[in-house]
Amino acid sequence: MATITQNSRFSKVLWPAVAWLIALIFFFPIFWLVFTSFKTDQDAVNPEFLFRFTPTLENYTNMTQNYDYWKFATNSVITSTFATLFALIVGVPAAYAMAFNPSRHTKDILMWMLSTKMLPAAAVLYPMTFLTKNFLQIYDTHFLVVLVLCLVNLPIVIWMLFTYFKEIPKEIIEAGKMDGVNTWGEIKDILIPLAWGGIASTALLTFIFCWNEAYWTVRLTTFNASTLSTLIEGNRAPEGLFFGRLSAVSTAAIAPIVILGWFCQKQLVAGLTFGAVK
Amino acid sequence: MADRTLPKILQTPAVILLLIWMIVPLSMTLYFSFIRYVLSSTVRPEWTTPALSNWRGFGNYGYVLKAKDFVLAVQNSVLIVGSILILTVLLGLAIAVLVNRGFPGRGIVRVLLISPFFVMPAVNAVLWINMILDPVLGLQGLAVGGLNSLIDGLRDFPVLGYFFNLWPTLEPISFRATQTSAYAVIMMVTWQWTPFAVLIFMTSLQSEDESQKEAATLDGASNWSKFINLTVPHLGRPIAIVIMIQSIFHLSLYAEIEIVSRGNGNKNLPYLIGEFANNNIGAASATGIFAVILANIIAIFLLRMVGKTLMD
Repeated sequence: MATITQNSRFSKVLWPAVAWLIALIFFFPIFWLVFTSFKTDQDAVNPEFLFRFTPTLENYTNMTQNYDYWKFATNSVITSTFATLFALIVGVPAAYAMAFNPSRHTKDILMWMLSTKMLPAAAVLYPMTFLTKNFLQIYDTHFLVVLVLCLVNLPIVIWMLFTYFKEIPKEIIEAGKMDGVNTWGEIKDILIPLAWGGIASTALLTFIFCWNEAYWTVRLTTFNASTLSTLIEGNRAPEGLFFGRLSAVSTAAIAPIVILGWFCQKQLVAGLTFGAVK
Repeated sequence: MADRTLPKILQTPAVILLLIWMIVPLSMTLYFSFIRYVLSSTVRPEWTTPALSNWRGFGNYGYVLKAKDFVLAVQNSVLIVGSILILTVLLGLAIAVLVNRGFPGRGIVRVLLISPFFVMPAVNAVLWINMILDPVLGLQGLAVGGLNSLIDGLRDFPVLGYFFNLWPTLEPISFRATQTSAYAVIMMVTWQWTPFAVLIFMTSLQSEDESQKEAATLDGASNWSKFINLTVPHLGRPIAIVIMIQSIFHLSLYAEIEIVSRGNGNKNLPYLIGEFANNNIGAASATGIFAVILANIIAIFLLRMVGKTLMD
C-alpha cells in the first residue's frame, strides 16, 4: 500500500509536468514565429541575437508597404464572411428538412454529400480555370472565391447542422405545425432560436476553414480577389533574407483565426465528428 | 402531400449546387483525358483547342502510367498520408491519455495544444521550412552548429577528448531535397493535426466507464492490459473518425508541398496534376481521373467503416 501512495504522490507532480511540457512543445513553433516577428531582418538570422535582442515593431509598421497586407486581409475577411453566410443560407433549410422530415434517401444523400468532399480538387483544376476564365469570365473575382469556398464547405456545414438539429425534440417543431405556423415561421421562430448555439459554432468553424483554404483561393485568383494564403505562398522562400518581416506578416495572417479557434475549441469536437464523439 | 414536397424543395438548392459542382468540372476532366489537348504547341497548333477530332482514347492514360514521376507521386501520396495518419493517431492517443487527468492549468494546456490546428497551411509550411528546419539559418542549423562546437570543445580534454575525437562532425539535414522534403511535409502536417486527434480522443476518454476499469484493477489487471482491452476498444469510433476526416484533408494536400518542394522533384498526385496542367492538359486530366479513382477506393472503404456509425 505504501508504494501505491508514494507512486501517486510522485505521479501527481509528474503527469501535469509532462502534460505542460508537451503543450509547450506543440505551441513552441507559434511562439517562435511571433518572437521572430519582433526582430529586424538582420537580427533574425544572427545567432548572437537568438534570445537577446532589441525588440522592434518595424516589421509590423512596414507590413503595408512590404506586403500590402491589408488588401489581402480585407479579401480574406470578405470572402470568408460571405461564403459562411451563403453556406448557412443554403445549409440550414436543407439540414432542417433532413432532420425533421427524413425520407428513405436522406442517409444516402448525406453520405453522397460527404463523398463529394473527398474528390481531389486538383483533378478538376484545369476545367475550373477554363470555365471561370474563358467561359464565365469570373476568374479572380470575389464572387468566384465566395462561391467556391461556399461549395467546398457546404457538405460539412450541412452535416454539422444536421447533427445539431437532430438533438432538438421533434415534438417542439410538430407543436408549431399544430399552431398553424408555416415552414418559414418554424425555421425562423422555433428552429433558429433553439439551435442558435449549434448554428453559431458551425459558422465559426466554417469561417476558420474558409480563412485557411489554400488551394482554390490560390489557383483561381491572380491579384484582385487573392486572400492571405496567396500572400504567404507568394513569399514562400526568402532564403533567410526576410525572416523578420515574413514572421510578422505570418503572425498577422494567423492571429485572428488562432484566437477565434481558442473560443470555439470545445465546439470543434462535436462539430467535426458530427456529434459521434461527445 | 405538402409534407412530402416541402422538405424536398428545401434540400433542392443544396443538392443541385453540389451536383453541378461535382458533375460539370469532372465530366470536363473526363473528356479532356481522352483527347490530345495542350496549352501551347508550335508544331501541332490544332491540339491547343479541345476538340473531338483530337481523340486519343486511352493514350493519355498510357502516357501518364509510363511517366516515371507518376509512380513517385503515387508512392509519395501514400507515404505522406499513411505516415501522417499513423503518427497522429499514435501521438494523439499517447498525449490524450497523458493529459486526461485533472491538474492545475488544464484549460491552458488544452488551448496551447490545440493552437497549431488553426494555423493556415501556407504559414505552417513557411514557418517550418524557414525558421525551424533551415540547415543554416533555422533552429535546426543553429542546434547542429551548437552541438558541433560543444563536441569540438570537449575534444581538448585529456582523456575524454580521445573519446570525443571519434565523434564525427554533425551535418545539418537539408529538408529541401527530393526525399527529405517529404519528411518535412509529414513533420509539419503531423504537428498541425496531432492536436486535433488529441482533442477528440480526450473528449471520448471522458465518457469512458470508470467502474469497468476499477473492476479490472480489482481483478489484478495491469495498466497496459486495461489500456489495450478497455480503453482502445472504447476509442475505436473516435479513431475511425480521426482517420476519415484526416484522409479527406490530406488526400488533396497541396500548399505544403508547393512551398517546401517546389522544383525539387518531390511531389504527390495533386502536385503532379498541377505540373502537367502547365501545358499538357490531356495528361493532367488523365492523372486527375487516377486521383479520383484512388480517392473513391479510399472513400468507399472509409464511409463503409465510419459512415454507418455516424448515423446512429
